[in-house]
Amino acid sequence: MLKNIAAVCLLAFAITPALAQGEKPEKVLKIISSLPRTGSANAQTTTMVNGIQLAIDEVNGKVGDYTIVYEDMDDASPQRGNWDPAVEAQNANKAARDESVIAYIGTFNSGASKISMPVLNKAGLLMISPAATYPGLTKPGKGEANEPKIYRPTGKINFFRVVPADDLQGFVAAEWAKDMGVKKVYILDDRELYGKGIANVFENHAKELGIEVLGREGIDPKASNFKSLATKIKAAAPDMVYFGGTTQNSAGQIAKDLHTANATPKFMVPDGCFEKAFIEAAGAENVNGSAYITFGGLPADKLTGRGAEFRANYKKKYNLKENEEPEGYAVYGYEACKVLLDAIPKAKTKDRAGILQAVSETKNYNGALGIWSFDENGDTTNTTMSGNTVENGEFKFVKALGK
Amino acid sequence: MIVSQAAVSESVAPVAMGWGDVLSQQLITGVSNGMIIAMIAIGYTMVYGIIELINFAHGDLCTLGSFLALTLVGALGMEAWAGMGGTAAVVTLLISSAVFCGALNWTIDRVAYRPLRGKPKLALLVSAIGCSFILVNIALFWGGLPMEVFGGGNQAAAPKDFPSLISNENLLGAKSAITVTWRDLFVVIVTVPLMIGLTWLVKSTRLGKAMRAVAQNPTAAALMGIDVNRVIGSTFLIGGALGGFASVIYALYNNTISFQMGYRTGMDAFTAAVLGGIGSLPGAVVGGIVIGLVRALSDGYIEARWTNSVVFGILILTLVFRPSGILGAKLREKV
Amino acid sequence: MSAAPMWKKLLRVDVALLILACLLPVVDQRWHLDMVDPMRGVMVFAILALGLNIVTGFTGLLHLGMAAFMAIGAYAFAISSCDIYPFQLNFWWAILFTAIVGAFAGVLLGAPTLGLRGDYLAIVTLGFGEITQDVLKNLDVITKGTQGINPLPSPHVPWWTATGFGMLEFTSEQELPWYWLFLGFVVVAVVVCRNLERSRTGRSWLAVREDELAARCMGIAPVPVKMIAFATGAALAAVSGGLWVSMYSSTGEPGNYDFQVSILALCIVIVGGMGSINGVLIGSIAMLGIANIALPKIASVMQSAGWVNSGSVFGSPNNWKYLVFGLVLVVMMRVRPDGLLPAKLSIVNAKKKNAVEPAP
Repeated sequence: MLKNIAAVCLLAFAITPALAQGEKPEKVLKIISSLPRTGSANAQTTTMVNGIQLAIDEVNGKVGDYTIVYEDMDDASPQRGNWDPAVEAQNANKAARDESVIAYIGTFNSGASKISMPVLNKAGLLMISPAATYPGLTKPGKGEANEPKIYRPTGKINFFRVVPADDLQGFVAAEWAKDMGVKKVYILDDRELYGKGIANVFENHAKELGIEVLGREGIDPKASNFKSLATKIKAAAPDMVYFGGTTQNSAGQIAKDLHTANATPKFMVPDGCFEKAFIEAAGAENVNGSAYITFGGLPADKLTGRGAEFRANYKKKYNLKENEEPEGYAVYGYEACKVLLDAIPKAKTKDRAGILQAVSETKNYNGALGIWSFDENGDTTNTTMSGNTVENGEFKFVKALGK
Repeated sequence: MIVSQAAVSESVAPVAMGWGDVLSQQLITGVSNGMIIAMIAIGYTMVYGIIELINFAHGDLCTLGSFLALTLVGALGMEAWAGMGGTAAVVTLLISSAVFCGALNWTIDRVAYRPLRGKPKLALLVSAIGCSFILVNIALFWGGLPMEVFGGGNQAAAPKDFPSLISNENLLGAKSAITVTWRDLFVVIVTVPLMIGLTWLVKSTRLGKAMRAVAQNPTAAALMGIDVNRVIGSTFLIGGALGGFASVIYALYNNTISFQMGYRTGMDAFTAAVLGGIGSLPGAVVGGIVIGLVRALSDGYIEARWTNSVVFGILILTLVFRPSGILGAKLREKV
Repeated sequence: MSAAPMWKKLLRVDVALLILACLLPVVDQRWHLDMVDPMRGVMVFAILALGLNIVTGFTGLLHLGMAAFMAIGAYAFAISSCDIYPFQLNFWWAILFTAIVGAFAGVLLGAPTLGLRGDYLAIVTLGFGEITQDVLKNLDVITKGTQGINPLPSPHVPWWTATGFGMLEFTSEQELPWYWLFLGFVVVAVVVCRNLERSRTGRSWLAVREDELAARCMGIAPVPVKMIAFATGAALAAVSGGLWVSMYSSTGEPGNYDFQVSILALCIVIVGGMGSINGVLIGSIAMLGIANIALPKIASVMQSAGWVNSGSVFGSPNNWKYLVFGLVLVVMMRVRPDGLLPAKLSIVNAKKKNAVEPAP
């Protein structure tokens, strides 16, 4: 029995890292990002973290007299392989308690935002998301009746996003489809918050535009292939297939199976697939000239001004080859951090409240994604979307889309 | 590039499919998918038959087999092997993955399972779960190798395209509404002889008899002079090798591999093994094909979002009425 | 046992754990360990694992779908209490309702399938987990699909605020009230399990586990006995689900209750020691402690030391988490195949030592 007690104590203390809290140096501002770093989302979040890191390195980790400290936190756990509510809540609570933290960049999944938003709202901590695009997080009337009130217990807005929400992207995607002369569309989604939401918006607007919706299916993103679905779609003979979902949820496999079955001439996906990995997963020959990708901003090589600077710096820092471009998500991560860093000098007091105030007053910000402001809900006013296709295994910009 | 342009212009006027065509196409897809599931299911059922372990690591073992195959494709430049070279490439992949997975499975048994013989059954299960996590992580690292086929290794976690070494041309002619490709045939051509061979091995060879003896009663088998550990080791070796074959077939048929793909393939295969009657080789094959067909038909005629429910619903119903699976032997009481 | 001196009797694992649990907030406050927060999750999983322990540990039925009952509990709690639905029960009634729904779901699954033997039952429970996932995702009208349901109510304790504990409001960023509440639930769950184990029902569970045939000969009807185990386990799992979502004020998404959660619960029970209540407690501290406390801490320390190179797949500690977690499982089983704290109080186990080891 004594041995057991000893084992218990040992266990309890083994997992208690006796980290003596070091002397807090003055004038440190801490930025935390909470993104899923374990599991399949790792590919996208790595580029986001690279973007964040670049923004900090560009100012040499200093704003005025303040040293910027950045911590890349993981909101996924190995046993889940995906974002974990427990870990996300843990991260948010940790950030809220640590007085030196002035901003929380995240989350990647909108579901995770729902958990951390009320916590950080009460802590008065600024939250900038590079990827959570569920409209109900910020926009009244777009989600449930009680949204977004429930995420703002104090009534103040602390959640901002540099990416346009899904209600915009699904909307312009439908318009673009109409422009391309699509008359009949088949819609798929990955049955996750992002993919399903964007497919819903697409479906509604497509119907308004008079595009016939032949069918709507939710897929199992883990299925080994979608050949039987491709057959079903082929029999329905649509002009285009729209898939609301991400690369990690089998967008590549779907493109491949649709192409192999000769099921559709056009395949459209949202920005969750605007990454090189999508083309690599699908195989260039399956998406060349047939895949259409919408993205909330311009692709890196079309950026001008600060965007072009970002592109050059990013390519240099991460040793990209001449023909390689920063991933779509990198610029979101970069912009989220950059808008924060640029707001710090304007803050009257360099604490949470001051910096939150300064960021919320961002107007006509000249950033990598263009010139934009945060609106009254905390959303970006940037409505520039781009339509892209694939040519020779590379993304090719087709045109700017907008409301 | 030229090929894909042609494909696009061709697809502008797709051949119209009647309901009979659609049904046949779904059945073809179902059987092909089912055969792959069956191959993996055999690995589960063999191990289960002999040590009553649900080997959770088996699906992830197959993942590694696919990653090895992709590495070889990249390292040896197999995409350029034309004509008979293509066949040689496929055979090379099949054999090397089979050897690799067999050896790896044997090693896992030696390191993680063998020390637990005679210990509680569930300890073995947790050890298998642990191995599954380790294999997933190895696959993640593997995907980060700086090779062209892995997208330069920048995005380890992203799904990887597996080059089409097998033609996707319709054997029934471009005009036909139904598509049967070399890939569908390939699945059948490889799996059927392997299954026949395996059945022969288990039924007629000394090793096979020893396996069955150990499955019946390890203590008695040991008393009769059978080296039980060696027989169990061989079972893992053979089951792993079949998983290796399956992993290459999977990769060539689906053309995408990812470090987490073992989850669904493993679960499907395990379900197939149980549906057919766990421990029974023909049962695993039947179970695999049934699941492949049910998946295809559910995707085609119900709704894809309910497919998993349909598969497991059928499984539960089958077990309620036939408590030891379709072909399972009546469970013997182990007192 | 009777020969043991008094002080040894007093040194009980559960008491030691309780004392440690009571001390933790103080220690945590003093040294800023950030442990109280993740411990809440550990306690929720401890309740889930206690439920599984009844099914797998006591009754010997391999259950691979515990997450489904957690999900059913989470959604039952959410639907009965969230203000977008008409019921709007308060926390306590909602938890009670959740437990009832959980038990009912357990019976529903058990009724047709408990006649199945061994691992056939395991796959049925696995399938049930998958079906539950699909239902939660697809029936948006009721479950809000992938959106999740929020906000969810926190417990309201009438005398709590009145007695001057006003600072301890149950809000999502205040961890201490939750900590104490969950500790209370764990204590209740442990007491319930312990009493059940020693009751007539509990002894029939063990009898069925050890030898179903012999149990039947002794007049125990296995199916109803298993059914009670199933229902009790499911009720505990459902309560854990209800507590879990109440703490986050959101159900998250259905994917949060997938097969991996069932597997985690199973690992907790087996690593802790099958059929041992104290073992389950230790197991949940060990498993979640490693996955949710130690690994992030190590990652964070490595990052502040500048050892992280996000450019390479090997450079980031996050990419090693699966490997570490898997190795821990394999090594633990190798070192302690019976679990960290194997059950040893039961008469059955004591007798088994002398029995001939059956063929593996």
